Amino acid sequence: MNADPSAIARGFRLSTELVAGVLLGAAIGWLLDRWLGITPWGLIVFLLLGFAAGVLNVARAAGVVPKNTVDPPASER
Amino acid sequence: MDPIHQFEIKNLFPIAHIGGVEIAFTNSALFMLIALALILLLMLGATSSRAMVPGRLQALAEMSYEFISSALRSSAGSEGMKFLPLVFSLFMFILVLNVIGIIPYTFTVTSHIIITVAFALLVFLTVVVYGFAKHGLHFFKLFVPSGIPIYILPLVVFIEVMSFLSRPVSHSVRLFANMLAGHITLKVFGGFVTMLGALGFLGWLGAILPLSLTVALTALELLVAFLQAYVFAILTCIYLNDALHPGH
Repeated sequence: MNADPSAIARGFRLSTELVAGVLLGAAIGWLLDRWLGITPWGLIVFLLLGFAAGVLNVARAAGVVPKNTVDPPASER
Repeated sequence: MDPIHQFEIKNLFPIAHIGGVEIAFTNSALFMLIALALILLLMLGATSSRAMVPGRLQALAEMSYEFISSALRSSAGSEGMKFLPLVFSLFMFILVLNVIGIIPYTFTVTSHIIITVAFALLVFLTVVVYGFAKHGLHFFKLFVPSGIPIYILPLVVFIEVMSFLSRPVSHSVRLFANMLAGHITLKVFGGFVTMLGALGFLGWLGAILPLSLTVALTALELLVAFLQAYVFAILTCIYLNDALHPGH
């Protein structure tokens, strides 16, 4: 996935991928806390999940992790 | 002097009142219409002659078409070509809006996050709706990587879902933040020039530095304007590829 033609765009892309994951996790966790009244557990769990998703996004955007295949079995495709 | 002032939305004239809320024609809407008119003029002007040896305008239009179609074909395959109108429209619209924004005294529509979120959600919903329409429940394969031990699968699926949901966030924030930051930087350095210029002769000498930086930044902004439109279009292609082939 060599999408970006320059180093600035590439760097900016990687940073936004991480920030987006963390922000989304924080938003979901905060909303769940408010709706279900389980403060602070939603925020804790979803912030961590969001961080993991952000790291995954960065790894994918950088081309370190191939898309959706951790260990591609020989039988499939 | 206020670097944020350039992003202010101004109501030009009211269009309608819906439920006590005034729907006004804003400067944002005006610049969107200008961009639309420019694109229409470019495309109609380019295709009117249909010369075998293209003129300048026709060459420009053909280049932009081939640029996007080859990017779409390489990332989403030939099945992805049915989305060419969407990707091409998004690319041209964002590119023209970004480039118009560099001209002094204009308004940069893409520096408002509500606009970029609308673009990103359009792409996101297209991916979701088309993915479910075409693959049904197989679309969920996107979240289930193969070859994962069953005991950590729930966690991985959760992270995959979060990663998928965070796409419109990063997709929209990237374009918005680039345009916003670039225009604020330009304005701040431009402000330094006038501030130093008010100090007298030594200030004039000192103002050379921020002035030259402003010139350099304007060139950089032109690059960023093109690059961000391109990155937005490329990521749209990559996301559409997931709708077309979720099992990969």
